[in-house]
Amino acid sequence: MSNGNSAGTNSKNSKFIMGGLIIALIIGILAPFIASGDPDGLESAAGKIINGNALESNLQEIGLEEEGTVAPSPFADYAIPGMDKIGEIAAMLIGILLMMVLGYGVAAILKKKEQIAN
Amino acid sequence: MHIPDGFIPTWESAIFWIISIIFVALAIKWAKNNMDEKSVPLFAVLGAGIFAIQAINVPIGMGTSGHMVGAAMASMIFDSPYAGILLLALVLLIQGLFFADGGILVMGANIFNMGVICAFVGYYAFKSLRSRGISIAAFVGGWLALFTSAIVCSLELTIAGTFPLVAGLSAMGLYHAIIGLIEGVITAVVLGYIASARPDMLKWTGGKNE
Repeated sequence: MSNGNSAGTNSKNSKFIMGGLIIALIIGILAPFIASGDPDGLESAAGKIINGNALESNLQEIGLEEEGTVAPSPFADYAIPGMDKIGEIAAMLIGILLMMVLGYGVAAILKKKEQIAN
Repeated sequence: MHIPDGFIPTWESAIFWIISIIFVALAIKWAKNNMDEKSVPLFAVLGAGIFAIQAINVPIGMGTSGHMVGAAMASMIFDSPYAGILLLALVLLIQGLFFADGGILVMGANIFNMGVICAFVGYYAFKSLRSRGISIAAFVGGWLALFTSAIVCSLELTIAGTFPLVAGLSAMGLYHAIIGLIEGVITAVVLGYIASARPDMLKWTGGKNE
């Protein structure tokens, strides 16, 4: 990359990144309306073939009533309790922004150090 | 394909945590050597996009739905399976901690299936087919990544004793052969778009526009 091009490339890059984020946010707003409520491939298979005894003993081991997660989740099932669709949209937007911040933070911390020659 | 807590016993969860931590450590090492100024925002926005698209479950018939995973796509864009592993580990962390999507104890197994397997299978399928065209390579890579990941998931559940071997492989294989089409199409569309609009973002294009 020649130095004369770097300003143009930078603005092209931020456009590309902003475009991506806007697409993600639009998907997030649409998701609560268009996502299918049918169980996914794994849950569907489990519904038909799971060994109930094995499941039962695993659940007993970790002290759960039914399969799920041992940790409490603030937005379980991508929703905010008592907030209907608005809560689902909000949960998605929070998730997208959280992911953006975490991805940026982790990548920024890990990125290779600038060459001293620069 | 997020395994919930309860589907596999604690000892097996622990083994997959250990395996996944090793791969995530290798991914961190990759990032330290390859992530540059330009990769940081791309990595972040790709994570946001993958988180969003994973929430759209598409009906595939038989009362079942499926969604994209995205590790293969991230690996293709960053030209390394470790990029997909790192990104999926972060997506699964947020999904597990905040959205009850996938258990915390089994998160190691989920990182292994959707991160490690999807990334390696997707990336190397793509790399070996790249000369036949970006979109075809991306489609096959995406499909194969998802399908293989489901087969591995099914075997883990058989080891756990929760799924019978043959019925597990048949059900998981059938559903995910179809769900893999979603993964393949979206992967092909995104890779095809970036390859034509911003080839400079892809390391393997030979740095055109650089």
